[in-house]
Amino acid sequence: MKPIILVLAGLILAAGPACAQQGSAPAGNAQNGKTLYLQVGCYECHGQAGQGARMTGPRISRTEFPFEGFLYQLRHPANQMPPYEAAALSDQDAADLYAYVRQMPAPRDPNSIPLLKAEH
Amino acid sequence: MTESEPAALHRRRFLKGVVIAGGATIAAPAPVQAQAPEKPNGNASPPTAAAKAHERETPQEADRLTTEKTGSDFMVDVCKTLNLDYMAACPGSTFRALQESFINYGQNKRPEWLTCMHEEVAVGMAHGYAKVAGKPMAAIVHGTVGTQHAAMGLYNAYCDRVPIMVFTGNAGPIDERRPGVEWFHSVQDGASTVRDFVKWDDYPMSLQHFAESTVRGYTLACAQPPGPVFITADAKLQESPLEEREQRGLTIPRLTIAAQTTGDPNAVREAAKMLVAAEAPVIIADRYARSQQGMDDLVKLAELLQAPVVDNRSRMNMPNTHYLCQSERSAGLIAQADCILSLEPVDLYGQLNVMRDQLERTVSSKAKKGVKIISISTRDLLVHSNYQDFQRYVGADINITGDAQTTLPSLIEAIRREIPSGGNTSIEMRGRKMREAFNGFADRARAEAALAWDASPISSARMYMELWEQLKQEDWALVSDSDFSSNWPHRLWPLEKHYRFIGGSGGYGVGYQPVAALGAALAHRDAGGRVAVSITGDGEFNMAPHTLWTAAHHGIPYLTVIQNNRAYHQEVMHVQRMANRHNRGLRNVPIGTTIDNPNIDYVKIAQGYGAVGIGPISDPNDLSEAFRKGIAAVKAGQPVLVDVVMQPR
Repeated sequence: MKPIILVLAGLILAAGPACAQQGSAPAGNAQNGKTLYLQVGCYECHGQAGQGARMTGPRISRTEFPFEGFLYQLRHPANQMPPYEAAALSDQDAADLYAYVRQMPAPRDPNSIPLLKAEH
Repeated sequence: MTESEPAALHRRRFLKGVVIAGGATIAAPAPVQAQAPEKPNGNASPPTAAAKAHERETPQEADRLTTEKTGSDFMVDVCKTLNLDYMAACPGSTFRALQESFINYGQNKRPEWLTCMHEEVAVGMAHGYAKVAGKPMAAIVHGTVGTQHAAMGLYNAYCDRVPIMVFTGNAGPIDERRPGVEWFHSVQDGASTVRDFVKWDDYPMSLQHFAESTVRGYTLACAQPPGPVFITADAKLQESPLEEREQRGLTIPRLTIAAQTTGDPNAVREAAKMLVAAEAPVIIADRYARSQQGMDDLVKLAELLQAPVVDNRSRMNMPNTHYLCQSERSAGLIAQADCILSLEPVDLYGQLNVMRDQLERTVSSKAKKGVKIISISTRDLLVHSNYQDFQRYVGADINITGDAQTTLPSLIEAIRREIPSGGNTSIEMRGRKMREAFNGFADRARAEAALAWDASPISSARMYMELWEQLKQEDWALVSDSDFSSNWPHRLWPLEKHYRFIGGSGGYGVGYQPVAALGAALAHRDAGGRVAVSITGDGEFNMAPHTLWTAAHHGIPYLTVIQNNRAYHQEVMHVQRMANRHNRGLRNVPIGTTIDNPNIDYVKIAQGYGAVGIGPISDPNDLSEAFRKGIAAVKAGQPVLVDVVMQPR
């Protein structure tokens, strides 16, 4: 059963905003989360704007992944993500990080960007 | 030549001798001419025993101080029969005679001597050149130390299966070696340093031997699978006077490029049956296409089967504007495939399996059980034992040893014969699904590119699209890999011609990018002045920034964009992975992996080497003007560097 959970967790995190669910997250300090995002190296794989990168990690900006799953992925990552145990990142730190990535700026509509317009 | 014979006359006779031998290169190999026995001097008395002993004990001071022709001149004649346009080198005394012969006797034409500032550049630019020009160029490296410098470049070229002619020099016999430096630069077996990763090497013992080995080396370098060849030019052979009598006995063998290997017809027929019978076939193209013809044939094959193509981008294999180019959903396609055709795979095992990089490494299959695997490849024709570039073994259902590009036309014909005359409904339905899937790729890429559009440091997607806006009206070529920038050019730019892209390094030896770009840009210049663009990481650029000087010196225009994330970022992630795994905190991860404090001024570096430097660009809104200026300067014939401060990937 555990492998199935791991795979699901990975898939859901990768899918990001497509899997909407939250509400059970503890209160987090988004400002501290922003500091942690750089300090513990989230940006290295997911980008400084949480946009994700093809070979390193999926988009996590404004994730709609539930906090429990987010925390599970940190502690027991599916696939290639390095594990973040409590010694490296406490549950409260995780909550702060979650608060930060949840409130990252909304992406722009590509059709509002001249270089990305569909007919461009 | 007699003492009284004018030098000019002698030169004519020497050239005549070479022309005779050279003429044989376009006809049949000429037999080695028998040397006439030396006539005894009738006026001389035989030396006495005392005289002989005296000569041995007190060597006479040599009074012949000059000569007008040497073995190195003949070596140049040999190289001129090959299709070599350039010889790249960082100078070294072990090939000093050859260098002088190339630039004077050979008039510095075909090959033209190119000055590099490191042997890795000389070899690496030949690597990039060959992938664009479709033929080898030459590099020559100093004995021992130069070979050591060249080693990583050779390894990349070997792993990438690219033909290069590499020469080196070596001091002669010990009784003619000057004490000191010449000993340090002498070696018993110079190729041993690189033998594990060259296709062939030789240390010719005579000029005739040099001629045969060099021509043989060229043919071997070009035969599929291609690879670098390493020839040692002994300094004694280079520098010794070449007497007329000896010249007349020398011949240069005819250069013939062998027809490439093709797969066994029976196996090809079985492969065709398997592919036509499959419900979900997938074609994976890796180090496959070496010309536009290869791309065109792959399109024909894919259309015939209406099968998706996953382009691994080791070469420019499949136009990404074609609806059957489905690299964007490779994982899903491979997971669903019931038959996979792999063309020149680099790592078929890794294509079909994934290994977790965790404390305990576990493997899981990406493909479903029972999937049929067909492989067409020349990889088994060039496997050495020591270096492990051959990857893990996969037992394919049909394993065809043969050049995939040469074999594809016969596979296409075999498939045509297998498809029922009335067509195949399931094939047509597959095509419709592929079109639907393809139509979503661009929208998804645009949406993802928008995510960090206004970010600073600048996102890789923004950089690529700003560059594209300035580049799209040119005849352009991308001479760098895109793995470290999320494959944006393959997702956002139309890559529809073979020369648009050259794949990656082969061996992941960092330092390949700036040097291969230099060589590729040279080939694009010679092809009519295409605008060559290289996106180079800052860590990688710092391995060979002086490529810009070589470019400025030799008039090789191209645009280098520094993807400046101020780190060896792959290693940042590796060290962090270890710190996470060991639960030791992440604070110290930047030690040894970041390139900041102070930040490097790449613009000054470029200007110092005689190139145009623009930047650093931190505001994405400044990219447009920077690239506009940069491309204008490239079109004016200059090498240009634009420093862009960017996101990690």
